Parts: sequence; C-alpha cells; structure tokens
Amino acid sequence: MKRLIIIICLLVTSIAPALGADQHLANPRTMKFPELNFQIPTAERVVLECGMPVYLLRDTELPIINMTAMVRTGSVYEAVAKSGLAGMTGIVMRSGGAGGAAPEKMDDELEFMASAVESGIDSDMGTVSLTSLKKNFSRTLQIFTDVLLRPDFSEKRVEIARSQMIENLRRQNDDPKEIADREIIRAIYAGHPLGEVATFGSVSSITRQDLIDFHRRYFRVDNMILAVSGDFDRSELLAKLNSAFPPEKNHSTLLLPEVPQPRQKFQGEVLYGRKDASQTVIRMGHLGLSKDTPDLYAVRLLDYILGGSFTSRLTMEIRTNLGLAYSVGSRFDIGRRFTGSFIAETETKAGSTVKTIGLMKDIITRLTKEPVSDGELNAAREYMINSFIFGFISPASIVTQRARLEYYGYPDGYLEKYRDNIARVTKMDILNAARKYLHPDAFKLVVVGDAAKFDRPLSTLGNVKELDLTLNIPE
Amino acid sequence: MKQILLVVTLLALFATGIQAADLENRVVEHTMKNGMKLLMVERHTSPTVSAWIRFRVGSVDERSDERGVAHLLEHMLFKGTTTLGTTDYAAEKPVLDRIEEVAQALTAEKTRGKRADTEKISRLEKQLAALEADAAKYVIKDEFFELYSKNGGTGYNAFTSRDGTTYLISLPSNKLELWAAIESDRLQNAVLREFYTERSVVMEERRRSYDAAPESKLWETFVASSFLAHPYGQPTIGWMSDIENLTRSKAEKFFHSYYAPNNAIVAIVGDIDTKKTIAMVERYFGAIKPGKELPPVTAVEPPQAGQRRIELIADAEPTLIMGFHKPAIDTPDDYVFDVISMILGSGRTSRFYKKLVIEKQLTSDIGAFDAPGNRYPNLFVVSANPRAPHTVKEVEDGIHAELDLLKTTPVTERDLQRILNNIEYDEARRMGTNGGLAHNLTEYEATTGSWRYMTEHRRKIASVTPADIMRVARAYFTRENCTVGFITKKGSGK
Repeated sequence: MKRLIIIICLLVTSIAPALGADQHLANPRTMKFPELNFQIPTAERVVLECGMPVYLLRDTELPIINMTAMVRTGSVYEAVAKSGLAGMTGIVMRSGGAGGAAPEKMDDELEFMASAVESGIDSDMGTVSLTSLKKNFSRTLQIFTDVLLRPDFSEKRVEIARSQMIENLRRQNDDPKEIADREIIRAIYAGHPLGEVATFGSVSSITRQDLIDFHRRYFRVDNMILAVSGDFDRSELLAKLNSAFPPEKNHSTLLLPEVPQPRQKFQGEVLYGRKDASQTVIRMGHLGLSKDTPDLYAVRLLDYILGGSFTSRLTMEIRTNLGLAYSVGSRFDIGRRFTGSFIAETETKAGSTVKTIGLMKDIITRLTKEPVSDGELNAAREYMINSFIFGFISPASIVTQRARLEYYGYPDGYLEKYRDNIARVTKMDILNAARKYLHPDAFKLVVVGDAAKFDRPLSTLGNVKELDLTLNIPE
Repeated sequence: MKQILLVVTLLALFATGIQAADLENRVVEHTMKNGMKLLMVERHTSPTVSAWIRFRVGSVDERSDERGVAHLLEHMLFKGTTTLGTTDYAAEKPVLDRIEEVAQALTAEKTRGKRADTEKISRLEKQLAALEADAAKYVIKDEFFELYSKNGGTGYNAFTSRDGTTYLISLPSNKLELWAAIESDRLQNAVLREFYTERSVVMEERRRSYDAAPESKLWETFVASSFLAHPYGQPTIGWMSDIENLTRSKAEKFFHSYYAPNNAIVAIVGDIDTKKTIAMVERYFGAIKPGKELPPVTAVEPPQAGQRRIELIADAEPTLIMGFHKPAIDTPDDYVFDVISMILGSGRTSRFYKKLVIEKQLTSDIGAFDAPGNRYPNLFVVSANPRAPHTVKEVEDGIHAELDLLKTTPVTERDLQRILNNIEYDEARRMGTNGGLAHNLTEYEATTGSWRYMTEHRRKIASVTPADIMRVARAYFTRENCTVGFITKKGSGK
C-alpha cells in the first residue's frame, strides 16, 4: 500500500514538469524565434516622357490608389519680409480652386467621390497628395494635376487663408509648449531662413501675385518626383501620367536659389518666457548634423541611448527614477538639406525647474565623458536592426520612402546597407560622436513658466534674456 | 448633362458593398473557455503583426474614492511581474510591503490637513525614501519594454479611456510568441513596484495635459459640468487630489477585480496563421481563471433642465465648446447623430465649414464629435475657435442657426449619398494597417458587444431618413439640453 502511494506521488511529480514541457511556455528572457522571412521591398522607378521620375508599387489588397508629388521648394526660399508665403501657397493651391473649377465645386466633387487631394509646403519640400478609390482614380487624377500645376488662387480664398493664419498667430502663445517649441528653433537657427517665423506684418504683406509667382517658380514637371501605390494597372497608369504631365517645351531654366547652411556658432543662451503655469516647459539644444556625414549611424544609436526611447538615460532618470516628468527625451533631427538640430525637452512642476535642467545637462554631459555600456549599445543596435522592417509596412510608405531618398539625394544602397552600418558602430564611435555633436555648455536654453515659483533663480544658469510674448496685434 | 450622367454612374457603382463583406469574411473569432475573446485577421502585406488587448474596464467603472486608478494602474502594469523586472522577488516583496505600510500611513497623515503632524510626515517621508532606495536594488527597470524593443517591437504603449483600457504592440511576425509570454505573465503575476514614483509621474502628466493647457482645462471642466450624476463626468486621469490619495493597495484591488480573461478582448492582425495563433494563445492564456463580471454603472444622468454655461478665465484666446446629451453608441438615435455629425462637421462640404468658416468667417476651426465615451449615454459636441474680432457669442449663434435649420429643412439625398460614399471609402481604408484594424476590432467589440458593428454600420446609416434627422434635431438640440463652455481671455474685461 505504502509503495503504491509512493508511485502515485512520483507520477504526480513527474507529470507536472511533463505538462510544463508539453505546453512550451517560454521564458521571455531566453526564448528563441524562427527566422523572419524579409527582403527589403523595392519600388519600380520609371521616367515619364517629360523627364519626371515616378516610383511605382502595385498592391491590390485594397481598391485604393495613393499618390504623392514631392516638389523641390520650401519656406527656406521665401523672403524674411514675406515669412509665411510658402505655407500660404501650399494651403491656397488646394483651397483656392484649380483648373477653372471654383473651390466649392472642387470640394463637392472630391468629397462626393470620397477622394482626397491635399497640398502643403514645409521648410524644404512641397507636396500634393491624392487618395482615391480605384474606380474614381481618373477623375481624381485630373483634379490632382490641376491643383499641382494650375491652381487658381481665388482672391476670396487667399483672404480667408490670410485671416486664418493671423488668427493662429493670435493664438501662438496660448500653450506654453508651443511657445517653447517655437523659441528653441528660433534661437538655434537665428539668422537663417529656418529660424524665421511668420508675423502679423509678414502675413499681411503677402499678395495673391506673390502666391502665383511662388507657385509658378517651383511647381513644374522638371522639379518634382511622383510616388504611386495601390491597385492600378501599370501600363494604363503610365499612359495616364504621360498625358497628365506632357513635356514642357517653353520652360525657362529652372533656378533654385542658393540657401547657405546655418552658421555653427556654439554660444550658450538662457531665454525665459513668462507664463502663469504650475508646470515649466524646458527645451535646450543647438545645431546638430546632416545626413551626409559618416557619423550618422553612431549618432542614431547615441540618440536612442540618450533620449530616444522609454529606457533611454533621460527617461530612466528624470521620469522613472525621480518622477520629475511625464514626458522627457531628446532628439537629433538629422538634417537632410541643412544642418539639423539637437533638442532635449521636458516639462516639470515649477518647483523642480532648475534642478531638472541641471540633471538633464549632467546626463547629456556624461555621454561626452565616458563610453556607453555594452548592454546599452546592444539594446540600441538590436532595436534598430530588428524594428527596421516597420519602415516597410504599407505600399504607400515604401514608395514614398524611395522617392524621398532620391529627393534628398541619399546615396545608392542607403536602405540596403543601413542595418550593417548600424551593426558596425562601436562604443568609441558613440563617444566620439557625443564629443563632436553635444556641447551642453553651448545649449540654447528656453524656459517657459512662472519664475516666481522656481526652486532656484534662472540666473544661476547664466544671463537671462526675457522673451517678449506680447503679440502687438495691428488694429 | 455630362455632369448628371457622371453622378448617376457613380451612384450605381457605390451601391456595391465589397468592403464590408470582405472584412466580415476575414475576421476569425475564437472565444476561450475562460471567456477571453480572440479576434484575428490574416494580412501578409509585411512580415509584421499588431497585438492589442482591450480590458472592458475604464475610468467610468471607478468609485469616487478611487478616481484615477484605472489610468494609474495602466502605468503600473509596465513595471514587471514576479519574474520579470526583478532580480529576486522573494527578497523584494517584504520591502514592497513595508513601503506600502509607510506610504499608507503618510497618505493618512497628510489627509488630516491642518491638523496633520508635520514631524511625523517628514519622518515617514524619509522612511519611505530609504525603503524605496532599498527596493530599487532589486528592480530591473522597464524590462518589458527592453525585451520588446530588442526584438524589434514598436509602438509598445497603452491608453485608458472612460470605457476601457488597451495595451498594444507591433512586432516582427516571428516574435508573436514573445507577446503571449509577456502578456499572459502580466495578466497573472503583475507586481506594481515603483508605485509612488510613478504616481508623481502621473501628477506631472496631469499638469502637462490639463493644468498648463487652457483648452484642455476648459474641456475637463466642461465635461465635468455636463454630468452631475454619471461618472462620465470625472476626468480619466483623476483630479489632483484623487491622484495624491491613490495607493498601491487600491490599484491592486482594482487589478484583481477586473483584469481577468473574461473582461479581455484580444485582436491580432497581420502576418499570422490563425489556427497556429489560436493554439499558441490557448497555451499561454487558457489556464488563467475567469474573474467576476464587471458590474454595469447604475448611475443615470437626470435629464438636464436648463442651459449650463461654464466660463474659464485663462491667458489664452477665446474657445467655445457646446454639448447636448444623447444616447449611447449603437442605439437608433445614435446612428442619426452619426449622420448629423458628418453633415455638420465632416470635411470642406460640411455645413459648419461652408457657413461659418467660408461664408461668415466667424471661426477658423470647427468640429463635431461624440464624447466623452460610448458605452453609456454621452454628448454630441461642437467645438470652435472664434476668429477675432468675432466673439464666442457670435459663433454660438451661428452654430445654433445651423442646428435649427436641421429641425425645419430636410437634408438632401445627395448629402446622404455623399456620407455613404465616404463610409465606403473608410471601410476600404480601415483594412490598410494592422494597428488600425486591431484598434477598431477591440474598440467596437468592447463598446457595442460586437466588432460586426463596423460591417453593419453603413447599412444602418443608409436607413436614416431626412425625417429622422429633423425629429432628432428637434428632440435634442434644445436650450434645456445644452451646455456651453468657453474661455474668456484674462484681462479682456468682458
């Protein structure tokens, strides 16, 4: 009898691990995975008869076609006295009617088809985009072409766009975060077109003729790249595009103005904006780097380790360990045409303002003094390499990415070599990059909040210059 | 003539219904014995997968002494389990227990206000800091995040709303099992370590999102003033004093009460094999015991008997919000409101845009939407920024004029057709991303009881008539049923 019990007990104990093994509940720390079957998707590059490059990727999962035109233009080309001109041109190209169709009629026709055509111009690129059900593509393409090449800039819509931009200027100091985001860019790019912002005066001085001229100068078939994806028939699409964009015979020579690079002048500055708030907005940074340096990959890893992830040093210390902020981080905005920027940012309660600024500077400085750990380097590398596939999750993102690489002049094989280039970066490369591109003593520091409630005076950080936040709205 | 022909042809084409039917056929449903619901869609566009878990518990389910706990708990569930996020849980646990004792004593003493013993407070604060430093020795910081990101996971996040709480991640498709291993562990063995530091983080989140952002502050005040009885009025993040009084014990109680497989809806969309996925999810989640059912909120908002006007004086330009009480999602009148909201507020052909932005130029920005949740009766909301020199009052009058027009003049067939056309497009586009589809599947399954709400929606909308719209407009757009919130610029003297 006793023997039997022992056997039963043994059975029970031997069943338990057997069950566990049967169930294969893996340990997340050590689990292994099957190989991922992934080849970098490409898009076909075709040149239209007019010379315009087009990237194509057919995908029939959804009965939708997406298209984007990227145009070499941008607010960097506008005169300081006309700041806002490029943005306004981008808005009114779509809102002001095109190809002889009145704005209301165009809106009605597009929305009845559930198609969308949108346009915009940012600092270094103009875009016109189209999305449409396959069955409405032909008509939507006509409207897209009109918006891109033949906008009418209705006088009334120009005035509405102007008055809306002016309303936005009136509201530009309502949210302290918006103030700080604007002022840090102005400080970093002072003296360069990238540091200019629209004002009541500049927006008021823009005329309809300015918009027409700005558009005419840049929106031409020899100055743009197209990206098309979705459910199309290749030869039918190319025929349509060739007829929509015929060769231009009478074009003057394309002249893109020279815009100088921003001047590297590393000099610290403390800028204070007064705002009655329980929390202080903090931004600090200076010029960064452009994509055309071999340090690019080291900087990408450095960025992840310093402030680009939830386990980055800044987030770990300021948020997770000390509970001083909800949102904290930093970012190298890699310049594509112009030198980019480095900005670190957070918001913390007024009473921990100066303490938090000091901590952030210390954390950043430490990266320039000693190498990162093996664990940090591996974690960053593995993330960058393993998450690379998320750059290719939709046909639209794949073609747009290919077109952007050409637009900004990335070298051939950039994507194909990206993971190898990341894998090659060493701890010393990161230390060298940190020393070259991080200068905490020369940070432009922008602080927006109520200085009366700060833990220590801002003046302990340097000479404080107060920002003039009065709007001076013209009557 | 050509124009008319074109329109007729388009109408005929729009009458097909391929998209809704397509989704209907592609969703694979599986309900586990413990009540967990699994919704899957195979999409092989890229070797990636999105996995979302939605718990049917949100801030509307909180009692008044635990406001903010659903959201704070969501933060805490990133802190690990008995095996992840720690080097030695057996040694860590007694320290965590001691922290909780001291923190509770500290919270209790602070609530005494003026009568509190300040010496005791400072002693307890020191004790707490020392214990937290001790506990920190065992912590492996954010190990969930680290494991996911090393494996290429992106978008690892969570969000809490009035109606529910959702945890999401996208992974390379060969790593889906990592999700199952981590999430099944989290559901059973979560440890809310580093609680009191995270509570400070949430206070900073509150300051950032509401206290220092005038429009959001108005929004919070407006919603709170719209609901006197129903917990939809309380902010999901909690008022500052609510957060200050939350404890780990309260959060654990909430967790153990409601985070159970029978309250969970899982959507897995992407490069998967549904049969293998079901087997894997069963293996990791199948043995978890069901918990109790979530009790419904019993509070019923009494009918509003007069206009409420809420003013916020702030260092910001004027803003206007108007709200009208309306029934919950998936009720007959709710579909009529969907149509109304699209006619009034959707796109450049909407009435608000054409009338108030383009014709009268009273506002630069106007929108219409439902808020603050969907499971229970909610609000139809219109929000607008007056364009200077126009005032809040002028915009308010302009909005009322459009609402009144709906009461007296039937909308055109073309307006209704445009709406159906746009829904058709949305149905097609909705299939376009793994995450977007996973979001919709979990959201509608949770709030309406079935993801099929999506495939039925167009048919329901198509049955709304011009007479329905007039009836609903008359019944709901009344002075009694209206709450108005607005910002007055500080020092403007008005």
